[in-house]
Amino acid sequence: MTHSLNEIEALSKRAARGSGLSWGLAEEAAKGTRWLASFGLPGPELLADLLELNDRRAEIDVSPMSLDGVWAAPAGRMSPLISGASLSDCAGRLLALGQIQLQSVSYPLLLVPFLGGAALRLKQPVSAAWEGARLTTDGHQLCVQGDDALLTNHATLVTVSAPAQMLGPKEPVMRAQVSPESWARLSGFAHRTFAPATEESRMRGAGAGLSDND
Amino acid sequence: MNDIALRHPDTVMRLARLGSFHQSRLSFMRVLTRRLAREGWTFERTAFEIDDFGVGHAVYTTHGPDRSYSLVAFAHDLPPESRSDRVIAEAWDTTFTLFDGIPDAGDIERLSKNIPLQEAGRVTSRELSVSRANRSVRLWDHVVAQLAAGAQPSVDQINAVGYLMRTTAVYGSGKLGAADREMIAGRPEFRAPFQVEMLSVFLTRWFVRDLVQHMADTRAKQAGKTPARLDPEIARKLGIGNSTGLGMAPFLLNHPLLFNNWVTAREEALRIVRNMPTASAEAVALFKSLMRRSQAAIQNWQSEHPVQVERLAQLRADVTALEGHLADYDFSANDPWDTLFRWAEANLTLEGQEWLASLMLEPYCAEIDALVEDMAADTSASFRIAGATTIGEIRALIVDIYGWAIETDWAMPENKARAWYVSEEKLEPRLGERFEEPIEEYEQPLAPGRDAAVLYEALTHWPDDTQIAEFLLRHPRHRHTVRRVQIVGRAPYGEIRDNTISSTILPIDMLRCKLAFFGATQFDPRSDRWVRICMYGNAPYPDELTTDTADFWVYPPETEVPA
Repeated sequence: MTHSLNEIEALSKRAARGSGLSWGLAEEAAKGTRWLASFGLPGPELLADLLELNDRRAEIDVSPMSLDGVWAAPAGRMSPLISGASLSDCAGRLLALGQIQLQSVSYPLLLVPFLGGAALRLKQPVSAAWEGARLTTDGHQLCVQGDDALLTNHATLVTVSAPAQMLGPKEPVMRAQVSPESWARLSGFAHRTFAPATEESRMRGAGAGLSDND
Repeated sequence: MNDIALRHPDTVMRLARLGSFHQSRLSFMRVLTRRLAREGWTFERTAFEIDDFGVGHAVYTTHGPDRSYSLVAFAHDLPPESRSDRVIAEAWDTTFTLFDGIPDAGDIERLSKNIPLQEAGRVTSRELSVSRANRSVRLWDHVVAQLAAGAQPSVDQINAVGYLMRTTAVYGSGKLGAADREMIAGRPEFRAPFQVEMLSVFLTRWFVRDLVQHMADTRAKQAGKTPARLDPEIARKLGIGNSTGLGMAPFLLNHPLLFNNWVTAREEALRIVRNMPTASAEAVALFKSLMRRSQAAIQNWQSEHPVQVERLAQLRADVTALEGHLADYDFSANDPWDTLFRWAEANLTLEGQEWLASLMLEPYCAEIDALVEDMAADTSASFRIAGATTIGEIRALIVDIYGWAIETDWAMPENKARAWYVSEEKLEPRLGERFEEPIEEYEQPLAPGRDAAVLYEALTHWPDDTQIAEFLLRHPRHRHTVRRVQIVGRAPYGEIRDNTISSTILPIDMLRCKLAFFGATQFDPRSDRWVRICMYGNAPYPDELTTDTADFWVYPPETEVPA
């Protein structure tokens, strides 16, 4: 069974929110997961792993302490979503510096979609490299080098560079396979965002009003 | 030389005005019927396998220049007690999908196991929409009984309801596994927004006419009688109803760029017409003719909801006032449309002003219709926050867009009395009482005014020249609102400039606005949170669709104009 990308984005947003991320980051996590899935990469699986790792942890603990120098997080591991969002915010700075390095990044593949956003802004390809993996994107296409290392749960050092060169780009596809197990894990997080079904909510919340069967 | 600017977003984007919008020639139903006629799309019924109990399936296919699409309809025998328009319903009289191409027997078999289940089923990228409809019990039984007895249904009863069936959801854009919009947005026929959904409903109306005839024929046969054929003139009056709840309200808030593009197109159209230095005799004649025909629709517009009852009374008074004003109005003077519109701004209610605004666009297809091309939106470029923007720039944008919200006292309970949330019950979107129900922890980000005011406050002690990226690193919870401020800074009609969580919010204003862009008529709020409307009333059926009938059908024929 395949999923539409919209379904993946909608579930990812709710799941990220359910894990305690603020709405803005949840939206960005969802767009990123969709983006990875559109290239046939296991974005939903990695997102589920990351949400479990950082479940209800304070965002600040896994955020870069400073945007100067090598980025590092106080908890000793950095969220790819939060650091990715900051990288996207700092696209201009990235191009001026040529590269930014990040220490101890969890599930670094989840960082890559944010580079797509930065590349669109810069109109230049951006790359991310860690041990055994290198990905480059112009926002529309993705070049992937490496295999197992792509899916690592932890990279000691990630180097993000701009401009970069696109070699052997992949075109996005429009459908995605997500394992039922990953879908269920994300659904569990998403469920936390739904208000319990009560008779009061059912009667009041959608405006009972006049008959709907006449 | 006149030089009228676009109306200011502070004027346009208020809920009371958005909730007074009317359909126009930019509405998505009319965009669709014009295209189908212009390009000579053909239509055929390729299956109608419905039994004497009204159970089975039917297929209606339309062929365009490059592609074909098929409505696959399933008819069910629904116990009356199961019939509900709420999203939490689990069974329906009829269920539908719009199939990309022509389905084979295997497709029908697969769809028959999924489409009747709606949200509990799965579809594939071959399906473009999933929808369902319930009978209007009042009208359905009447029409079947009359036809079966060899007679025509009562026109009064048809006018009182307006449709035989009403849809209760039309899902597109990847829902339930269907094709994502991105897969089809490049096709010319689907470039304008919601064309898949509008095509699905256009074909649904045809199926419903066939189904009611089939049921009447069956009943007549059982009684040994000869049934009547539904008079085409009467059939044309019948639209498809729709019952819409809160799911549609968040849509406008969640798609600010798209919403901006819709409103911009209509405002730009109005600006173009107001800047016309003169009006031709043909344009004036068409305007006056459609205004008369429009009055038939306004006469027939019924609602029991106190808010709409009052607005309808105002609209009818506005119509009379405009008629009186036009009796000796000089269209040959300079800037006739702008002068007329200025008079309306000073003398008519919001209902009347927006009715006139839509009507004034009608004579100017050549100048206006191309604006449809800009009504879709590619949001990918606007999604990323521009982190190098300074805090001073963000502050200025907030003051400009959300000035009303900065001045609102958010400590007062009535200013944040409500909260939008999603129920675990079929994920139905709901609006609750923040101080009376345990819902706040589930609140959706659908109060942009309040959130902008909170952001503004949080920025107070930050220097103007610091980049917003530095602030966001420390306060990621404001990312949602910073993104929104930046989007609306570029798309000023993208934001509702009103309080969406106050004790007095009327969600039906948001529903009406969206439905008016679809081309809906006969808005009939059933509470402050759900509304019934009519789609394609008076439209030609596919076999009647020509370039002559494709555009102005929304206005009832001259024969129905009250004397």
